[in-house]
Parts: sequence; structure tokens; C-alpha cells
Amino acid sequence: MAKLAGLGTYLPPWGSARGRVAGPDEDALTLGVAAARAALTAAGLASSDGSGDVANLPPSATGGSAHSPGRFGRVANLPPSATGGSAHSPGRFGRVADVETAAAAGVRRVVFVTRELPLLVGGNAAALLAGIGLAADVAVVEQVGGAPAVLDALAGAAPGTLVVAADAPQAGQPAGAAAALVGPDDPAGPAGGVGVELVGRVVRSLPVHSQAVGEAAIRDYSDARLERERGVGVALERLGLAEKPVVAAGLAAKQAAALCAGSPPDLPTLGASSALFAIAALHELGSGGVVLAAEQASATAVRVDGPPAAVRRDEPAPLAPEKMTRTPGPDIAISLPAYERAFDAKLRWEAGRCDACGTLALPPRRRCLACGSEAGWTLAPLPRSGEVYTAVTVHVPVPGMPTPYSLAIVELDGGVDVRALVKVTGAKPGTARIGDRGRLVLRRVAVRSGVPDYGYALFPNSPAASVAGEAATGTTEGAAR
Amino acid sequence: MRRVAVVGAGMTAFGEHFGLGIKDLVPMAVSEMAAHVDKGLDRADIQAAWFGELTTTDGFPTGILADTCGLLDIPVTRVENACATGNDAVRNATFGVASGAFDVVLVVGADKVRESSARATFWEWAGLTRDMAWDYPLGLVAPANFALHVARYLHESPATREHLAMVAVKNHRHAVPNPKAQLRYEITVEQALNAPVVVEPFRLFDCTPQSDGAAALLLVAEDVVDRYTDRPVWVRGVGLGLDRVMHQHKRDMTTFPPTVKAAKAAYAMAGLGPADIDVAEVHDCFTGVELISYEDLGFAERFGAHKLIEDGTTAIGGSKPVNPSGGLKAKGHPPGATGVAQCFELFEQLRGEAANQVDGARTALAHNIGGPTAVSAVTILSSDRG
Repeated sequence: MAKLAGLGTYLPPWGSARGRVAGPDEDALTLGVAAARAALTAAGLASSDGSGDVANLPPSATGGSAHSPGRFGRVANLPPSATGGSAHSPGRFGRVADVETAAAAGVRRVVFVTRELPLLVGGNAAALLAGIGLAADVAVVEQVGGAPAVLDALAGAAPGTLVVAADAPQAGQPAGAAAALVGPDDPAGPAGGVGVELVGRVVRSLPVHSQAVGEAAIRDYSDARLERERGVGVALERLGLAEKPVVAAGLAAKQAAALCAGSPPDLPTLGASSALFAIAALHELGSGGVVLAAEQASATAVRVDGPPAAVRRDEPAPLAPEKMTRTPGPDIAISLPAYERAFDAKLRWEAGRCDACGTLALPPRRRCLACGSEAGWTLAPLPRSGEVYTAVTVHVPVPGMPTPYSLAIVELDGGVDVRALVKVTGAKPGTARIGDRGRLVLRRVAVRSGVPDYGYALFPNSPAASVAGEAATGTTEGAAR
Repeated sequence: MRRVAVVGAGMTAFGEHFGLGIKDLVPMAVSEMAAHVDKGLDRADIQAAWFGELTTTDGFPTGILADTCGLLDIPVTRVENACATGNDAVRNATFGVASGAFDVVLVVGADKVRESSARATFWEWAGLTRDMAWDYPLGLVAPANFALHVARYLHESPATREHLAMVAVKNHRHAVPNPKAQLRYEITVEQALNAPVVVEPFRLFDCTPQSDGAAALLLVAEDVVDRYTDRPVWVRGVGLGLDRVMHQHKRDMTTFPPTVKAAKAAYAMAGLGPADIDVAEVHDCFTGVELISYEDLGFAERFGAHKLIEDGTTAIGGSKPVNPSGGLKAKGHPPGATGVAQCFELFEQLRGEAANQVDGARTALAHNIGGPTAVSAVTILSSDRG
């Protein structure tokens, strides 16, 4: 049985109570990263606003070798038992070093489930790990799948597995992401971890919605009754559940209500992430029970043995989507050597710390900004919040980039004396003002010659949050939907 | 070092020269210069040339200058220093003569911005000044590059968007009598304030147009000045200043340190100060940049620039006219040509021949700021030999 150590959810700030849409700078990967970070925060493995790394960093773990992005030493405060458990012998991971780094971080494996993988060739794993703040030696499974696949992955997951599910579908379908961390199956482990156990699974084919490789759009067979009766209907029949589900994922609200006990909560998505939104909803329901995930003619049911305690929702209140102007033009050029050199600092939100005097530089640079030393530098996490020093809004059409958009120079918190030039996200263009505060979040800054270019953007705090002195992240208990 | 004088100047009109290539514009400017040297110019006298061109069209710049101007037997050096290219070409040529290496040299500046599709231009030019991994993908268009400074400047100083509009109105008015200018029409403050937004806080009339054009100067040593003219304009001071290339590393964005450094060097070389300047051509690619530059050049106290535009000090008829040619704002801005064309304007001003003459002008200053706001060049010219 998988024990849930933490659940996180993320909804894009655009849309309405009826459903969210991904921003122009969001894709399945950035959505998934936001949810994964919320899950790790819920599990106590990351701070919500903090230094950006997944946990406190004992000096011994950093390795300290300059220019060596291989060992980030992001170390979590996981009980020692989690690393030494007999069920997870080092042999499973190959090299001992892998075990040390990955196991110490509490996360040994990431399963990323979505039907909208940003890159089919080229890979999403490194960006995913960097964005979440996990070491580069954690195994990643990039899986194309929907809600049943997520419950399958979760129920069968070994401790230390982070299941990340993201939906960034084509227009018309809601976007969102959720993630669940499977904790150690250990009485000494984090308290409150509820168990998730497989009840049943039916895998069938009735592709009323389909998209073949190379096709740009999803085809719709357009027969709702067929889908209902011969799809989910037959799947449920074959599952033969002894008790009615309390939440059903992957189904329209009305259909879900018809086959659930009581009145199940509305879920914000229909794809992969809906399965984890369903489990998170048990927190608000205050009970466990059977959770069903359906997709066309297939379904998986699990039993959750109580309400999950560690749930963090990053679900800002929705804003009406901006009308953006899209200007066609030539591909935006990319230099892959420059991309590769910048990758770790840029996606992990880290500066180069001068080995001689400790001054931070973003981006990292050979010659120290303060003391002029060229002896070397070591990557160091940056604060993920700050204040706008100056900001402008681009209205003129820019080929390949939806306009308008705002750019800001942000003075980072914590007295680190680092400013960052970033795009503004999650706010109406032109509304970020000098002196406004916000947090830095991973976004797809641009798509360059077909390659998603990830980096950090400023998510301004909502006026209410500013007044309350809180981060913009709504840790609402579902009410923000 | 020997004294250096400008004895001839020429330029093409600035504008969208779709019908003319760089191989047309360069020889046009050089020939106009040569035709207006008071006592005539034998091209065989030219011993070296410096060519300021920011981008290249039709290929190899120095070869194009040599080939299209009939100067195949002299050394030609390309200067590229972002929007400071033109005045930096003047600076390098000045040292070439002052050092004693050459007596007669040519300075040419040219660019053809309107040679690629409007859609391609933005990313092509962004690539010249941005960090490829960190800044380029942000869409930091040229107006945004400067707007980041001006937004902060408007926040800290008493200047307002109305003051930006007043700069545009002044420079448009100045351009009207200038036959070389691209935008020869007047606008009102209301028009400027209500124009479409380009990059907040800049609206359409806060921005320079995109331009093609070329300009040329003949620089000679004091020893040979008399061969060419009895009314030389002396190059009294040149200066170049730099700054960190990324905006996030610039501590105070309400000022351009490169301008302060370039001006300091040029004033020191000239033995002059801001009070000695009778007329100036200041880099007004965006209106707010002219205001900040008043302070950086020492024309105004810190955060006092708005007063100069409010009370007419920097208009023709004021005590320190700025951009009598119309400036980049209304005359146009083919970057490599811009600084050289500023010197063309000041050459005419100091000889009393300008289309928009400043009465009694004896000492003048030309200024560029550019790239990722990280380079500035300043040239001080005077009818006084010094």
C-alpha cells in the first residue's frame, strides 16, 4: 500500500469558476512543477517561499565543487530510516552515489503523467527535476496517460515516488496539475500519511476521442451516449465495486454525481490531474473511501483509507484571460551551447556564489561582480520572492511572442543583493508597479525554434495577499475554484 | 597629439530608402561631403577611413566602402559600438590623425535598418545586444531596453509623461526645416500623450523611427587644414564610456553611467565644461533618454531635466538648444550613421550654415548612448581652435 506523504495542486490563474486555462507561458511541465513543489511543501520537504531548494542543506552534502552541477546536494529532512530501508537496497539504483543523493532528497523517482508532454523528442525530465528542485540523478518516467494511469502509478508506487499529473489541453478543456508524494511505509515516517490501495482496474478500448501521432487536433466521434453506456458504464460494471465511489475523476460533474455516493465535489480538470484532485478533495470531505478514475472505456479504482492531511493548494483566484495578439514570424533563434551552459542556474533559480568573497551573481559569471576573483564559483539557491525595481509593458507586436507582456527587474529578498530581469506572469499586463512584491515561479519564457525555454517569472502578489503579508499562492481549501 | 579639424561633411537624407542599398547610400554621403569641401578634395589625398556600421547589409562593410567610393588603396577599419558607433568612428579617426599617422582621413557612418522584413528585424537586432540564454528570450525589445530606465526615472524624479511628450514636440518642430530629416511635421503634446502605446511608458511619438542613411566627415591634421578650408571645425574632445551589459547589474537605472564617463573624458580633453556648450545633438532614440542625458551630460542638476524642457532652455531660442536637427526622434536613426550625422549637423551649426541655425554657436556636443544601455560616445566640436 502506498502511503501519501503529501499532496499538492496547482491551477493556472486564468479562467473562471467553470475552468482554468493555461497562460501563454505555461505548459504541462510548468503546471506539473508548480503542483510538485506544492506537494513537497505539504510533505514538509520544501519551504513554500524559501530559498528555492527542496530542503535545508547540510554543508556536508553540497560537495562544494565549483562548476559541478552534477551534485546539487538538495537534501531533505527525511528520517534516516528512509534511506536505509531494506526494501530499497542501493542495488536497485545502480550507483551508490545515486542512492545517496536521490534518497537523501526523499524522492527517488518521478512519474510524470500527462497527455501533453512538451517535447516528444528532446526530453522533459531534466527541466522537470530542475524546476521541482530535485537532484539530477532522480529517475523520471515520462508517461502519456489520463486519470486511470495516475491512480495506477500511485497505487503501485514505491516509497519515494513523486507522481506528477498535468493537464494542459487544447482549447476548451480545463488545465491544472496535481502531485502526490509516496512516503516511507514506516511507522517512524511522517505522521498522517494515508494509504492508497488498488481496488480494481479495467483496461478497454473505445476511442471516441483520438489523436494519432502527427495529427494536430483531437478527433471527436461525437456520441456521448455511446461513451457513457459502453465506455464508463461497462467499465464500472466490470469493476464490480462493492461500494460506491466517493469521488470520480475524469467525468463530467453530472455523470460523476450520478455514480458516486453522496454529493461528490466538482473537480477542476478531466485529465490525468483529476485523479489527484479527487484524492485531494477527500481532505475537504473529511473522509476516506473509494476514488474512481475513468477515461473513455477504462477505469481504475483505489481505496484511500482516510482523509489526506498534508494537502497544499496553489490555486490563485481566477482572472479573465487576457486577449493576446499573436504575430507570426521567423523562429526565435536558440543557441544550444548557451542553453546548456545556463540550464542549471536558470531552471533551478540559482546564482553563482563567488568562492573568494561569497558575492552572488545572476547569471553566474567567471569574474566576480564585487571582488574581481576569477578563482571560481559554486551554484547557490536564490530567494524566490522580491520587489519590483522597475517595470515596463510591451504592447508593440513581437513576432513569435504573445503581446502585451510586462517585464520587470526584481530586487530579490533576503538581502542577497541580486536583481533579476524577468517577465511578469499571473497578472494583467501593465499592472505590476514599482514597489510591488511577488514570487518567482518557473514558466516557459519562450518557445525558441521549437524548444521550450524555461526560466523564472514574477508572479505578483494579489493586492489582498499583499495586505495580509502573504504570498500570492492561495492555500485555499478549494474555495478558489 | 596634433589638433584635428573637420573640414567637410555630408549626409544622405534619413528615411526609408527602399530604393537604395548600402552600396548607394555610402558613396552618396561621401560624394556630398567631397563636393562641399570649401577648397575642394582630391580623393587621392584620403589616407585612411573608419566606417561605422552596426549591422551589415550586402556583406563585408569595409570592402563595400573602399569599393563603392573608389578608395581601394587605403586602409579601412570598421567600427561597431552599438548606437555609439558613429561618434566612436569619429573618435578613432581623430586619434588616427592626432597621432601623426595620417593627415587626411575619412569617417563614414551608415546603416540600413529597413532592409529586412519588419518581422525579422526585431530578433535580428535583439541578438546584437542581448545575452543569448538569459535576456534574448524575454522579448526585451529596443524600446523596453530604455523604458526600464525611464520608468524608474519617472518614479524617482519629478518628470512626468507630459515632459516626455514635450521632448517629442520640440524635436518634431526642430526637424521641420531640416531637409535631411525623416519626420518633418509638428505634433502636439496631446497627440503624443494619446498615441498608441509601444512599450509603456513610451508611446509612438516617444520613439525614433526606423531609418536608412549615411553620413561622412573629412578629418584633417592642423598642418594641412588650410589646403581645404578657412573655416574648420575643431575636434576638441572625444570620449567613450561603458557599463555592465545586463540591466540587472546596473545599480541606479535613473542615470546612464556610460554617458557620464564619456562626457567626462571629452570635457577633460577639450578643457571645457557643460556650461561651454552652445548647442548639442543628444541621443533621443526615446524621449526620456534625452531628459536623463541632460543630467548625465551636466546640462541639468540631478532630477532637474524636466525644468529645461518646461522652460524652453533646450529649444531653438533657448540658452542650450538640444537637437536642432530634429534629433534621432524626428531626423531619424540609422545607428551607424547617427553619430556621424550629429557631427554633420554641428559642423553646419558651428559654421553658421545650419537649416535650423542656433545664433552664435561656437562650441557643440554630440552624444550617443546605446547597446544594452552600456556604451556612450561623446564628441565636442568647436569653431575655436583651443
